[in-house]
Order: sequence, then structure tokens, then C-alpha cells
Amino acid sequence: MKTFTKVLATALTAAIGFSLVGCAANSSEEDHIYRTLDEIQESGVINIGVFSDKYPFGYVDENGSYQGYDVYYANRIAEDLGVEVNFVSTEAASRIEYLETGRVDVVLANFTVTAEREEVVDFANPYMNVALGIVSREDNVITSLDNWNPDDSIIVISGTTAETYLIENYPDIPLQKFDSYATAKEAFENGTSAAWANDNTEVIAFAIENEGYVVGIPSLGSQDTIAAAVTSGNESLLNWLNDELVTLGTEDFFHADYEATLIDVYGADYEDELVVEGGVI
Amino acid sequence: MNWEFIHKYWPLYEKAAILTVRIGLLGILAAALIGVIAAFIRYRKIPVLNKIVAFYIEISRNTPLLVQLFFIYYGLPKVGIKLDAEVCGIVGLAFLGGSYMAESIRSGLESVDKIQHESAISLGLSNRQAFTYVIFPQAISTSIPGIIANVIFLLKETSVFSAISVMDLMFTAKDLIGLYYRTTESLFMLVVFYLMILLPVCILGSIVERRVRYAGFGT
Repeated sequence: MKTFTKVLATALTAAIGFSLVGCAANSSEEDHIYRTLDEIQESGVINIGVFSDKYPFGYVDENGSYQGYDVYYANRIAEDLGVEVNFVSTEAASRIEYLETGRVDVVLANFTVTAEREEVVDFANPYMNVALGIVSREDNVITSLDNWNPDDSIIVISGTTAETYLIENYPDIPLQKFDSYATAKEAFENGTSAAWANDNTEVIAFAIENEGYVVGIPSLGSQDTIAAAVTSGNESLLNWLNDELVTLGTEDFFHADYEATLIDVYGADYEDELVVEGGVI
Repeated sequence: MNWEFIHKYWPLYEKAAILTVRIGLLGILAAALIGVIAAFIRYRKIPVLNKIVAFYIEISRNTPLLVQLFFIYYGLPKVGIKLDAEVCGIVGLAFLGGSYMAESIRSGLESVDKIQHESAISLGLSNRQAFTYVIFPQAISTSIPGIIANVIFLLKETSVFSAISVMDLMFTAKDLIGLYYRTTESLFMLVVFYLMILLPVCILGSIVERRVRYAGFGT
């Protein structure tokens, strides 16, 4: 009994200690964890969080440099700000954390705008449309999520809108969760699960690139948008990003972006469906 | 701190903790078994096997668990061996832990004075009896601190299982942060649960350590 009390006491002390550390960090961060537009320009470097494994939106090519639709936009932001760009590779689930701790100034990691996320970060105006999609194997095409076989699971990536959507709308479907695009893809190819749910852009790209896969459900849930996100309260940077979108809209920048990065994968058919110019849908 | 959130997701952590402990326990048991066999082979210097075991120990100790798990979970299906994620976790833990256990036990075996074996034989014990009743008990008493350290080390290593989609404690916390953005609460519960698992192991370990001291020779 004495030992047990000792264990409990130690556990509590340690837990309280840890949480105090958490609190202290939070309160000091609250006023000014982010860098304002001026501070970024002064430092000469902007930190932008992108994916390193989400082809063709944010990925690392064979030469080790970042490429893709998001990256193309990120490079332009840095150019127009007159600063160098420092890419920070993020995972889906850590995008919010990166902003909340000020490790990046902007997240451009194919970030879908949702009401829950808007509570914790600030989104700029959108630059792309998106919905969810589900890809499955040719010999077992899934076209509906009703009457789901409980022995089968769906692969999702932790921290994505696909995960949230399925938890809320299909709580009985078993989910196989992965923490990165690379591992989810690998597992799907190994036949771990019957289907993979993700942004429809991503699953369409996957089905085009890999033989034997079909996007049985090309559009699921609501039509959403993808936008740049900044740390909550970073108004100077947010306003600049929105003004920038208007400027870029006049030159059809995102059409050019699409043609430079996405056309090889999707062809021209999706161009007007995907691209958002000037921050206005 | 939002206690409602903690209350709501506490059961999720309980489930994850049970999974973590289950994988940890089975993995560690398997590791101990591998450890005893490997240590015995090394101790007796059984030809051929000795070389194989030495090779295994070097491979296993000098590669990170994460790499081993990737190999087992993502690599093996390419050659037709498909294991459940949980089984992969157990196999990975056993593969990594086996070598650590083997080295701990071997150091115990080698610390037993040669004269012990000779005396046992001269008293009429067979080789096997000498090992089971004389050498092994003494060796284990020396090895126990190392073995307990390994157990704690292996339990903590389970935190990399998120890479192969096992919903262990670490992944549950990461997933909740990604879903609901409640970092402080999620991490708080993570720490509490790891402590609840590891502190009793620690204390049990030190009790066992004290208990087995008697077996030592000349101390």
C-alpha cells in the first residue's frame, strides 16, 4: 500500500509538472508567437510549411528540392516579399502545431479550410477547390460507403479532413490510420485495406499514376477550399497574402501554376474545376 | 486545461494503453525467450549457431526499431509475407529486445566463476544439471538489473509504433491533436498514461532486484 501511494504521488507530481510547463509555454506565447510581415522581411527568410510526400502538390524531387502546386505558390510568395524561402516539411496532423508554436510563418500544405481549423488558425482566401474521394482496387471497386463490410478498413491519414469526415459520418467503418502520405500509400499498395480516403485530388492522382486502382467515389462530403494559413492573429501577414491573391489573380497565376505542376497528372480537364483565382470562388 | 475533453477521450487512452501493454508484454516475453536461447548459444560457443547469433545481435542492436518496423511492415509484404500491424509490433520488439536480453544474460553467465561449473561436475551433476541448477540461477541474479532496464527501454520503444499505424498511446495523442487541436490535454493524458504503465514496472523491478541478490556467490 505504501508503495502504491508513493507511485501515485510521484505520478501526480510529474504530471502536474509537465502540465505546468505546458501552461507556462502557452501563456507567454499568447501575445506574440508569430512573426509579423515586417519581421519576416527584416529577417530575409520566410518559413513555409509544405508537404514533402504529397505528389503533385508538395513533394521532394530526385534532386532533393521541393516541387509541386503548393511549392510553386510558396516560391512566388517569397519572391514578391523579397525574401528567401525556407521549406519546412510537415505532416498532416502537425500543421496546426507548427503555426501555433511559430515554427513556420505560413502553412501551404494543401490545407483544407474547415470551421474547426478556423478556430485555431487564420486562413487566407482560397487558391484551390477540393472534395474528398475514395480510391479502391480495380477488382473490388467501392462506390458507396453504405453497408460497409466491418472486416474491411479504410486507410486515412491522421489529421486530415477525410479522417474527420469518416469519424463523424461513418463511425462504424474501421479506419487504418497513418501519419504520413508516404506510409499510407505504401500500406495501401501492400493491400492492407480495401480503400483509401483522402482529398479527391490526391486519390485521382494516385489512380492515374498507379495501375489497377479506380476512384469509385470521386466526390464525397462537401465541396471545400484549400488556402494558406497563418498563426492566429497574424493580421499583417494575412492581409498581405489576401492582397497578393488579388494581384496574382490579374495574371491568372494559378492557371500557370496548374499548367506547370498539375497538368501532367490531371490533364487539362480539371483545370477550371480545381483552380481558384484572386481568392474568390 | 479542458477537463471535459480529458473525460471524453480518457477511454480512448485506456484502449491504447491496453494495446501498448499487450504488445509490450508479448514482445518482451518473446525477447526474453530469444535472449535466453541466444545467450546460451553464445555462452557455450556452439559452432555455426554462435556465428549466426553474433550476426543477429549486431544487426539488431545497431539498427533503430523504426527501421526494423518499416522493414517488417512495409518491406515483407513485397515478398509475400503480410503480417497484421500488431503482430509486426510484437515481432519488431522481439527482434530488437532479443539481442539486448541476450547480451544482459550472457554477461550474467560469464560472470559466474568457472570453478562453480567444475565443482558441480565433480559433485556428480551432469552438464545440464550444472547449468540449470548452479550456473543459470546465479547468472540471472547478476543479469536482473540489466534485464529490467531492457524491459523499461522496450516499453518506451513502443512509442514508435505509430509509424506502422498501431493505435498506441503516442499515436492516439498525435491523432487527437490533429483532430481537435487540444495539445495540452492530449499530451497531459499521454504523460499520465505512460507513467501509470512505467512507474509500477520500475518499482516492481527494484523489488525483484532486491529479492534475487541472495543467489550470488561470494557476496
